[in-house]
Amino acid sequence: MDIRMGIELPPRWRTALDRLRNWSLANSPWLVHYNSGSCNGCDIEILATLTPRYDLERLGIKLQGSPRHADVLVCTGPVTRQSRDRLRRIYEQMPEPKFVVAVGACSISGGAFRGCYNILGGVDEVIPVDVYVPGCAPRPEAIINGVAILLKKLQPDRATEIDRLLVEAVGDTAVLTEEEVGDDAYAEALGAR
Amino acid sequence: MTLTQKPLERVEALLEPWLTRTERPADNRLDIWLPADDLLPVVATLVEDEWGYLAAITGLDPGVATGELHVLYHFAEGAAVVTLRVAVPRDEAEVPTIRPLIPLAAIYEQELSEVLGVAIIGAPARGRLFLPDDWPAGVYPLRKDFQLEQLDDKEQGGS
Amino acid sequence: MNASASDRFVIPIGPQHPALKEPGHFEFTVEGETVIDATVRLGYAHRGIEKGAEGRNWTQSLYLLERICGICSHIHSTAYVVGVEQMAEVEVPARAQAIRETIAELERIHSHMLWLGVAAHDAGFDSLFMYTWRDRETVMDLLEAISGNRVHYSANSLGGVKFDLSDETAAAILKGIDFLEERTRHYREVVSQDAFFLQRTRGVGTMTRQEALQLGVVGPTARASGVARDVRIDSPYIAYNEFPAHIQLLSAGDLEARFLVRIDEMLDCYRLIRELLARMPAGELAAKRMPRKLKPGEVISRVEAPRGELFYYIRSTGGEQPDRVKVRTPTLCNMGSVLTQTIGHNLADVPMILVGIDPCFSCNDRAVSVRRAGRAEGQPWSWADLRRYGIDFYRRQMGLETHALAKG
Repeated sequence: MDIRMGIELPPRWRTALDRLRNWSLANSPWLVHYNSGSCNGCDIEILATLTPRYDLERLGIKLQGSPRHADVLVCTGPVTRQSRDRLRRIYEQMPEPKFVVAVGACSISGGAFRGCYNILGGVDEVIPVDVYVPGCAPRPEAIINGVAILLKKLQPDRATEIDRLLVEAVGDTAVLTEEEVGDDAYAEALGAR
Repeated sequence: MTLTQKPLERVEALLEPWLTRTERPADNRLDIWLPADDLLPVVATLVEDEWGYLAAITGLDPGVATGELHVLYHFAEGAAVVTLRVAVPRDEAEVPTIRPLIPLAAIYEQELSEVLGVAIIGAPARGRLFLPDDWPAGVYPLRKDFQLEQLDDKEQGGS
Repeated sequence: MNASASDRFVIPIGPQHPALKEPGHFEFTVEGETVIDATVRLGYAHRGIEKGAEGRNWTQSLYLLERICGICSHIHSTAYVVGVEQMAEVEVPARAQAIRETIAELERIHSHMLWLGVAAHDAGFDSLFMYTWRDRETVMDLLEAISGNRVHYSANSLGGVKFDLSDETAAAILKGIDFLEERTRHYREVVSQDAFFLQRTRGVGTMTRQEALQLGVVGPTARASGVARDVRIDSPYIAYNEFPAHIQLLSAGDLEARFLVRIDEMLDCYRLIRELLARMPAGELAAKRMPRKLKPGEVISRVEAPRGELFYYIRSTGGEQPDRVKVRTPTLCNMGSVLTQTIGHNLADVPMILVGIDPCFSCNDRAVSVRRAGRAEGQPWSWADLRRYGIDFYRRQMGLETHALAKG
């Protein structure tokens, strides 16, 4: 998060830099994906969002490999005991500010596997979640919409523009009005005012 | 089914000395009950004569009252399935390893020992493959007397 | 290069990995570029489903077991319902069985196309990845048209199926597979003729028939090595007696053969689906009555999943719930073969060999700490060092003139 690298900057510079960082993050968020025990159903739908029919990348969104380069953690599946620490570690490796999108019924609550002995429950049992995308499995449009809800939260003044882009990209079924965003402290941490 | 008649007749001839207790649960199936000591020679015979392949190893808890655990070795050839059933005492559950004969069995045996607590005699010790690293020792989830409370942590989310 | 202890290092891969759909953890010990040892740690996605099924009734377990895998969910539920129906002695109408088979073959097409794309991606052939996934949307649309969902179709119920195939749907399927067949033939050409791609597949990860038998591999991985095993043919279930599949066999046993076997299987799927739709039996969609309680007994149900033989053992003690459900998935059989095959290969071939059995795996992570003799122990190479080493290496080995590279 600290792009000033220890240099004391005047407050006006800091604000300007924060706004620049915020602008670049919201315009081109990088995603990292972790499967903490999913059935692969949501995972293939996430992969499908990258491929020609949905093509998430044209919205500036990129799925890449390392948590250290990521702004948004896309989680699928319930959290198993074995992957709990891994999930935490991946979350901790991500630079601030960071956001979490939970994709699929299992990552919200444990889904069909709730009550099984190796299941701890949804992703929010382990790390804070900002956006929940329900479905088993959610359609690619729903996943894109989940990311868009996050983007709109980061840049409220661009909400209409993001909606317009989405409709252009995947059609109006993808735009939902209700948004479910978790902790407001995260929006504040961003300085999105 | 005539399709499965021939392979089953062949296996009956092959395993003649060990056929003390058999069942035919379905047309295509032959179940052979074995003491744990006979397991290795029987598997060796099947492997030598290339009868089928090991399809799976099932661990079974027939209930606490029986005082037993069952280990089922399923061999398949075409549609025919031969199941070697080994009953072992619950508090001293162990079977010899068959991985020198069938390397693939290693992964099945590992699963068996982790989830049902059947010790595999002759298998090299290794870490867990299926259950989490922090799983308590001596707790076997597929036994009928397993309780979620045995896991003893507050993070259990399910109901 | 002399092998000393300092030449060896362990490369961990997973459980978090870009295109890795199943979170497994691998550790490859390499000596230079060559893999000399490999281990795997599973269990990141171990959910305890077998135990979970014991606490759910026969119907609830169907939906739980369907969610073992999101790619081949229909085949899991098919294995389960076939077993339970056999135990309950319920006669399933012919139309239901034929619809099950149609969906199973559509699922095989979707799974193989998905695999083809991911495997191409792992080979660095992203255009093929994008093309296959674009075309795969056709089969996803068809599955959605039948069931209303793209993943987890839930088409099976105990005693039958939930969805009928209307004439319009059948026409859409025929149109869709005409398009897919044309595309698949194109992919077959690409995979068997593209010189760059063949360098990644031909002669890589070769497994002879004898090795395949010994390692106990199943499915297309085995059939690419000439092992004629296909449960659809060996032990026909649902409608495979009336509408038989044709076995696709190759003997080369390398990665190229594994690509071709799967593509040939897709072509056979199109033929099979056309036959099914042309001679779809009329009648009911489900058995009249399905008991809530099953009498005591046990049953073994084997089906051919896209990745190979899927094995279910189901036991009832007369209650409303299963007493034991044992599931042996094909990837478990094939995983051992990966570990054996990678040894002796270059590290760069490892992702391709892994993906060859279709657990879908990619190797994008390059956080490698290289330790070599002649350097301070444990000192990592910088990117500049690695780049310089690479340039020197090719200059020496290939006699390549790399001035431009060295300058740039």
